[in-house]
Amino acid sequence: MKLLYQILWKDYSRVHLLGAFLGTLAGFVLLLAGIQFYMDLKAVLSENRDLLDPEYIVINKKVNIGNTLGLTGGGFSEEEIAEIKAQSFADQVAAFNSNEFPVQAYTEGEQVPNFITDLFFEAIPDEFIDVKSEDWRWDPEEGTIPVIIPQDYLNLYNFGFAPSQGLPQIPKGVLSMINFKIRLKGEGRGKYKDYNGRIVGFSNRVSSILVPIDFLEWANEKYGYFKKNDPSQIILVSKDPTDPSIIRFLEERGYDTIREKLKSSRMNIILKFVISFLVLVAAIIIGLAFLVFLLSLQLMISRSAEKIRRLNKLGFHYREISRPYILLLFLLMAGITGLSLLLTSLLAGKLHQTAEAWSLNISSSLHGIIYGTALSLILLITASNVAAILISTKKLCK
Amino acid sequence: MLEQNTSGSEVWEAESLILEQGKPYVVEAPSGRGKTSLLSVIYGIRTDYQGLVFLDERKLSSFSSKEWSKIRKNKLSFIFQGLELFDELTAMENIQLKNRISAYHSDERIMEMAHLLGIDPFLQRKAGILSFGQQQRVAIIRALCQPFNFLLADECFSHMDRENSLTAYQLIREECKAREAGLILTSLNKTGLPNIDHSLKL
Repeated sequence: MKLLYQILWKDYSRVHLLGAFLGTLAGFVLLLAGIQFYMDLKAVLSENRDLLDPEYIVINKKVNIGNTLGLTGGGFSEEEIAEIKAQSFADQVAAFNSNEFPVQAYTEGEQVPNFITDLFFEAIPDEFIDVKSEDWRWDPEEGTIPVIIPQDYLNLYNFGFAPSQGLPQIPKGVLSMINFKIRLKGEGRGKYKDYNGRIVGFSNRVSSILVPIDFLEWANEKYGYFKKNDPSQIILVSKDPTDPSIIRFLEERGYDTIREKLKSSRMNIILKFVISFLVLVAAIIIGLAFLVFLLSLQLMISRSAEKIRRLNKLGFHYREISRPYILLLFLLMAGITGLSLLLTSLLAGKLHQTAEAWSLNISSSLHGIIYGTALSLILLITASNVAAILISTKKLCK
Repeated sequence: MLEQNTSGSEVWEAESLILEQGKPYVVEAPSGRGKTSLLSVIYGIRTDYQGLVFLDERKLSSFSSKEWSKIRKNKLSFIFQGLELFDELTAMENIQLKNRISAYHSDERIMEMAHLLGIDPFLQRKAGILSFGQQQRVAIIRALCQPFNFLLADECFSHMDRENSLTAYQLIREECKAREAGLILTSLNKTGLPNIDHSLKL
C-alpha cells in the first residue's frame, strides 16, 4: 500500500539512518576484508612451503657465558630430546652424532696448495639431509670418506675470502674433484689411520660437516675415546612450520634456530594478532552501528506514534503498519550487503594485483566464508531489528 | 458502566441494551455524558469499562488485534469526532487510504459522493489546509469507503450547515441501506434528522 509508505516514511531522520548505514558498511568491509586477507595470507604461507618437503629445523641451545666457562653443558640431555619428540609439531626428531676422536684433514700433491686443519664430523640420518648423492655411502673396504659441507662455507670462501686474498674462486664441481686426506686418530701415540676424503655435496639445510652416520658409528667404535657429549644440535621435521607453537616452544625453552626458517611461523603469529585486532575493531563498529540502526528505527516509529495509532484506528494491523519500516530496513541491509561485498572484492582484486607483482598467488575472488559471514551477520541484525519494530508498533496499537 | 457520572443514563445504567443491525440510532446528550466513549467502547478503542459488550455474540474483550483490524476493515466503520485525517495527504488520498483496502467504491462513485457534499473541488488539496467543515465531509466519505455492519458517527455534522448536514445524512442513510447496516449517530442536541426511529439518552 503506497499511501502507508508515504505516511510512515516521512518521519525518518536522514542523518541517523545515513550514519547507521555508513557505520555498518564500514564495519562490514573491515570485517570481511580482514577475513578475506587472513584466508589469502594463510594460503600463501602454507603454499610457500612445499607440502612434499616439510620444513627441517635445526635447533641448538643458546650459547651463554656459562657454556664458555664450561659450567653448563651446551648439549641436549636425553630428557630434553624426549620432550622435543613429544611436541605435536615435531614429526621426526634426530640428534646430531659427533666424532669422539680427533680428526684432521690435509692435502698433498702438486696441484693444490698444501694445508692441514683440525676438523670435526657430525652425522644425522640420511633422510634429514638435503643432498642426494651416489657417493654418499661408507665402505670400509674402499676407505673413502664422503663429506658434505654447508653451502655457506663455499660461499664464504668464494665471495669473501678468495677475492680479498687474491685467490681463485672454486666452483662446486672442482671442489668435489679435489682429493684430500682425512686422518682419524685413536687414543695413544701412532694410533691413527689416513683415509681419502671427498666432498660429495653442499647442504643448505645443515650448518655442519656431515659424514654418513654408519661411518661415524664405525669410527667412534674404532677410534673413539672422548667422553660422550650430549648432542649440541637437534634436527626436527615439521609438517606445518607455520605452526606458531614452534616459536613459542623454542622461546620458552631458550633454544635457538635459524630464524629465517621459522619466518612463516612468526608471520602467522603476527598475522593472527593483526587480524584478531581487526576483527575486534570491526565487531565493535558493527555493534555500535547496529545500535544506531535500532535506535534510528525506534526513533522513527516513536515520531510517527500518533500516525500509527490513527492507522490502527482505521483498521490497519500492526503487522501492516510495520511493513514500511521493515522494507526500509531490508533496503538498507541489502545496500550494506551489496556494497560491502563489492568493496571487499574490489580490495581483494587490488591485493591480488599487488600480490601478483610479488608473484604471490592470491585469489582475486572472495572466499566462501566471506559470503557466509556477511549473510549470517545481516540475518542476525535484520532479525533483531524486525523483532524490535514489531514490538514497538504493537505497543502503539490496540 | 463507565467510571464517570452516568446516573440516569439509558445506556450506561441499563441492565442490557441491544443495538440491531440495519437500524439507525441517535444518541443525544450534552457534553461529558460519554457519547464518544460509547462509540469507542463498541469500536474497541476503549477497554476501561465494567460489564460485557458483545459483537455478533462474541465478547469484545476476546478479540485479538488481528480480529480487531478485520472488524474495523469489514464490520465497523467510524467517523471520528477528531476526524483522524492525515494532514500531509490530499483529501482524495485520505479517502483512498481506506478505499484501497477493499476497493469498495470506484473512483467515479467517490467523485460523485464528493460532488454531492460539495467538496469535489478540494479533493486534490492537502487535507491539512481544508476547513474543519470540509475535513468533516472528507472523513464521512472515507468512512463510507468500506464494508460495514454498523457505522459509528461521532458528531459528524458539527461544523456543517443544516443543508449540508441533511445531504450528508441522506448519503449516510443511503450507504447504510445498501449494506443493510446499522447506524449509531451521536449528537449534542436534537438533530431533527428525519427517519430516526430509535433515540437513546445518555
